[in-house]
Amino acid sequence: MKVFRHLSAGLKELVRRDKTESELREELNAYVQNAADAKIDAGATPEEALRSARLELGGMETVKHEVRAVGWEFALEVFVQDIRYGVRMLRKSPLFTAVAVMAIAIGIGANTAIFSLVDAILLRPLPYHDPQRLIVVGTQQRGISGMDLMGPADFLAWRDHQQSFEQVAVLDLAGRSFALSGMGAPERIPGVGVSANFFSIFGVAPLKGREFQPGEDRPGLPGVVVISERFWRDHLGSDPKVLNRTLSLDGKLRTIVGVMPAGFRFPSSRPVDLWAIRTLNPPTARPPYGLVAIGRLKPGINVSKAVAELNNIAAQVTAQYPSSPDLVGVMMPMKEWMVSDVSTALLVLLGAIALVLLIAVVNVANLLLARATVRQREVAVRMALGASRRRVVRQLLTESAVLSLLGGVIGLLLAYIAVRAFLAFGPGHMPRLDEVGINPVVLLFTFVVCVGSGILFGLAPALETSRPSLSDPLKDTNRSSSSASAHRTHRALLVFEVGLALILMIGSGLLVRSFVRLSDVNPGIQTDHVITAAISLPNKYAGPAQITQFWQQFLEKVEALPGVKAAGITMSLPPNLLAISNPFTVEGQGYDRNRQLQLAEEMTVSPGYFRSLGIPLMKGRFFSPSEKVEGDKDPMIVIINETMAKQYFRGKDPIGARIQTGDPDPSAPWETIVGVVGDVKYSGLDSAPSPTLYVPYNENGWVMWSREMYLVIRGSGDAPEIVPAIRTQLASMDSTLPIAQVRTMDQLLDESLVQQRFRTWLVSGFAVLALLLSAIGIYALISYSVSQRTREIGLRIALGAQRSDVLGMVLREGLQLLALGLLLGLVGALSATRILQSLLYSTSATDAMTFVATSLTLISVALLACYIPARRATKVDPMVHCDLSRFRGLV
Amino acid sequence: MPDNNTPLLQGTLDMLILKTVALEPMHAHGIGQRIDQISQGVFQVNPGSLFPAFKRLERAGWLDSEWRATENNRRGKYYILTASGRKQLRSETRDWKTQSVAIARILQA
Repeated sequence: MKVFRHLSAGLKELVRRDKTESELREELNAYVQNAADAKIDAGATPEEALRSARLELGGMETVKHEVRAVGWEFALEVFVQDIRYGVRMLRKSPLFTAVAVMAIAIGIGANTAIFSLVDAILLRPLPYHDPQRLIVVGTQQRGISGMDLMGPADFLAWRDHQQSFEQVAVLDLAGRSFALSGMGAPERIPGVGVSANFFSIFGVAPLKGREFQPGEDRPGLPGVVVISERFWRDHLGSDPKVLNRTLSLDGKLRTIVGVMPAGFRFPSSRPVDLWAIRTLNPPTARPPYGLVAIGRLKPGINVSKAVAELNNIAAQVTAQYPSSPDLVGVMMPMKEWMVSDVSTALLVLLGAIALVLLIAVVNVANLLLARATVRQREVAVRMALGASRRRVVRQLLTESAVLSLLGGVIGLLLAYIAVRAFLAFGPGHMPRLDEVGINPVVLLFTFVVCVGSGILFGLAPALETSRPSLSDPLKDTNRSSSSASAHRTHRALLVFEVGLALILMIGSGLLVRSFVRLSDVNPGIQTDHVITAAISLPNKYAGPAQITQFWQQFLEKVEALPGVKAAGITMSLPPNLLAISNPFTVEGQGYDRNRQLQLAEEMTVSPGYFRSLGIPLMKGRFFSPSEKVEGDKDPMIVIINETMAKQYFRGKDPIGARIQTGDPDPSAPWETIVGVVGDVKYSGLDSAPSPTLYVPYNENGWVMWSREMYLVIRGSGDAPEIVPAIRTQLASMDSTLPIAQVRTMDQLLDESLVQQRFRTWLVSGFAVLALLLSAIGIYALISYSVSQRTREIGLRIALGAQRSDVLGMVLREGLQLLALGLLLGLVGALSATRILQSLLYSTSATDAMTFVATSLTLISVALLACYIPARRATKVDPMVHCDLSRFRGLV
Repeated sequence: MPDNNTPLLQGTLDMLILKTVALEPMHAHGIGQRIDQISQGVFQVNPGSLFPAFKRLERAGWLDSEWRATENNRRGKYYILTASGRKQLRSETRDWKTQSVAIARILQA
C-alpha cells in the first residue's frame, strides 16, 4: 500500500513536472512574502524585510533541489541524465568508443557463447520429470573404478528383486542402428533397443501416439517401435497418419506406435531416431555385458543404499555363475553420466574465455585511464560548480556502464552467431547439444558480466579522474601534473594483463603440444587409399552357413573389382571403433577368480583384413581363406598383437601357444595362436597399447557375431571412387542391404580427434586474442609514457644523451613491467594449468618446454610493442619539442 | 545563526511539524515561526530542511495541503494533518516520551 502510494506519487510528479515545479516556486515566493510581512510587523522597512527574508530562505534553487531530491523519481532522473551525458561524451570521441566497445563486445560475446554451452550441458537440470532421481546403473569388477555395462543376468535379477527404485529399465548399447529397407535405398538408422518401461522412467509424453506398454517386451510379441520427431519429419514427411505404419528394420516388420518430441534424445551423446523393444530372454551365461540400466529412485532413498542392495543381488548372480568375475554395482546420477566426458573441457573453455574478457577489461580500463588525464579539466569544472566526488564517480561509472552495455549488445549478436556456427560446424558428438541456445539465464549472465565489467574497468579511471588534486587542474596547462598516480595504476593493470595473457598462452601451448603428439600417434596401419563402410546382415541370414556364404561371395566379388587391391571385413575399426573386449586366460596361468580380469580387444576379421589395412606380420602367419574353421571339431585359431606377445609370453615364442577367451573357465575351448601382428589402436589414439585378439570371422562360435561388420578396402587410386561399384555388387546380392558410414581411413582418424582439435583451436584462438590485446596494451602504455616525456627526452638529447641511451631508457620501462607480468603469469600458470592435466596426452601440465617457449613468444611480441614507441622517442627533436630558450642562461 | 540554536535530532523535525499543524492548518512560514516561538528559539528550522520535510510527510500520507488566503490576504499553501498523520503523531509522541524518560534516567544515574 505504502509502496504503491510512493510509486504513484513519484510517477505523477514525473509526468506533471512543470506543474509541481511552478507550485513549489509559488510556495517559496509565498514563504518569502510571509516572512517579509512578519518582519515588517516587527518594525523593519519593506526593503530590509524582503532582503532578510530572502537571505533566510537561502538559495531558492538549493531549496528546490533539496525538495526534488526527496522522491525516488529523483534518482531515476539523475540516472537518465548521467546516461545522456555519458552517451554525449562517448560520441565526442568515436574512435575511443569504437575500440573499447569492440574489445568488450568480443570478450562478452565469446563468454556468452561458451556460457550458453555450459548452461545447457552442465548447469541446467535434465529436461525430464524430477531429474535428480534418475540414476544410471552398471557393474564393475570389484576393486576397479569406473562403470562398465551390465549383463542380462545381473539386470534381470536386479529388476526382479530391487526395492530402491520406482522403476528400472534397460537400453541395449550393443546394437547401435537398424537397417531400414523398403523405403527407397536401404540405409542404417541410429537407434537403440529398450525395455517396455523405458519412456515412463523419463516422464516425457510422446508427441503422437503412445509409449511402449508394460509387458510389450515379453518374448514372442509383434515388434513395435517409437520414432523420433526428426525421423518422422525427414523419412515420413511428417505423415499425420504415421501411427500403425510399419517399418522394415533389420528385415523385421515393426509397427510405429509413437513419435517422441524433438527435445527427447537418450542416449544424448549421439543421434537416436528409433527406440525398438529389446526382449531379454532368460540368460544362459552372465556375459555379454552390453546393457545400460536406468532407474528412477524412490523418494527418500539415497544412492548408497541402492548400491548396497545391488551389490547383494550381484553377489548372488556371481554365485550362480561360478566362473564369472566378482562384480559390484555402480550408480551415477544420469546427468553426470551424460556430461562427465565434456565437463572438464567446457569448464576449461569457460575459464579461458573469462581470462580473455578480463584482459579486454584491463585494456579498456587503461584506455579510460589515458583519457582520465584529459578529462580532469572537465571534471574539475564540475566539481568547482559543486558536484560532489561521489556524484562525479557515479556519473563516470554510468558512462562506463553505457560503454559495456553497448559492447554487451553487440557481444550478444556475436554470441548468437557463434552458437549457430558451433551447432552447425562444431564437434557433433556432445551430449545435450539440442538444448543449447541463448535463453533468459544466458541473457542474465551476459547482463551481469556486462555491468560487472563496466564497473571493473570504470572504477579505477573514475576514482583517478575525480581525485582531488593539490595543484589546480583548471590552471594547469601541462596535462601531466596529476597523472603520476594514474600512471602507477596504469602500470599495475598492465602487469596484471601480461600475467593473465601468459597463463592463457601456456594453457593453449600445452593443449597444442598434446594435440600435436596425439596427431603423431601411429595408429599401426597404413591409412592411405583405404575406404571403410558398415554393412550389417539382418536376421534372415539365420545361420552360420548363410552368413559365411554371403561374406565369402561378396568379398570375392569386391576383390575382383578393378582398382581394388585388397578387401576385408572386421568387427572393429581403428582408431576408436572397438566393438567388444573379452577376458582371456593363457594356458598355464591357472584360474583365480579374484585375479584382476585381463581384457583383450577381440574382433572377428576376414583373412584379407590385415593386407587391406597394411598391418604388419611379426611372426607366424595370417589367416588363410582356405582354412577350415567352421566345424565343431575344427581347431580354433587366433592372431595376437605385439603387446599381448610381450606382456604374456615374455621371451617365449607365442606361436603354437594356447589361450581361452571369456570368463576364466577350465572347460572353455582352447584357441591356438598362429600369428603375431603389429599393434593397432582400436580404443582411440590416446589409449595405451593393450592386448588384441583376432579370430576368423567364420570360426565356429564366432560366426554369429559377424553380422555387423565394417568393410575395409585398399584401392590403388582414389579410394572413394570405388564406392559406386561396391554398392552395385552389394545390390546384386541383396537389394535390401544398406551400406552405411562410408569413410576413408584418413577421415576416421580425423573424426576421432574432433573434440580435441576443436578445444585446442578454440583455446589457441583465445590465447592469440589475449596476446594481441596485451601487446596493444603495452604499446599504448609505452606510447603514452613516451608522449608524456617528450620534453624530458628532448632535453636529455640536447644535453648529449645518445639515441641508444634513450632507446634503452624507454625499453627499460617496458621490460620492468614485462618481467613482473611474466613472474605473475608463471606463478599463476603453475597452479591454473593443473586442471588441464586430464585433457593432455603424454604432456605434463608443467611441461617446461611449453612454459619457456610461450614465455619467449610473449617476450618477443611485447618487446616489439615496446620498441615501436621507443624508436619514436629517439626521433625527438630537441629544437622542436622543448623550448631551449628557457635554458639560454644555462647553455 | 544564533549560538543557542541546537541541531535537530534526525527525524524529530517531522514530529514537530506534525504536532504544529495538529492545532490548526498552517503555511510553511507559520510552521517555522511556531516551532521557533514555542521552543523559545532553541530550534530554528531553516527552509532548506522544512520544504523537503513537507514533501516527505505528504508522500507518507500524513499531511495534506491546500492553497488558502493568509491573514495578510496573500495566498499561502496550508498544510493539514490527515487522520493517519494524527495516528503517526500519537505513536511518535509516545515513543519519544518513553525514550526521553529513559535517556534522562541514564544521564542522571
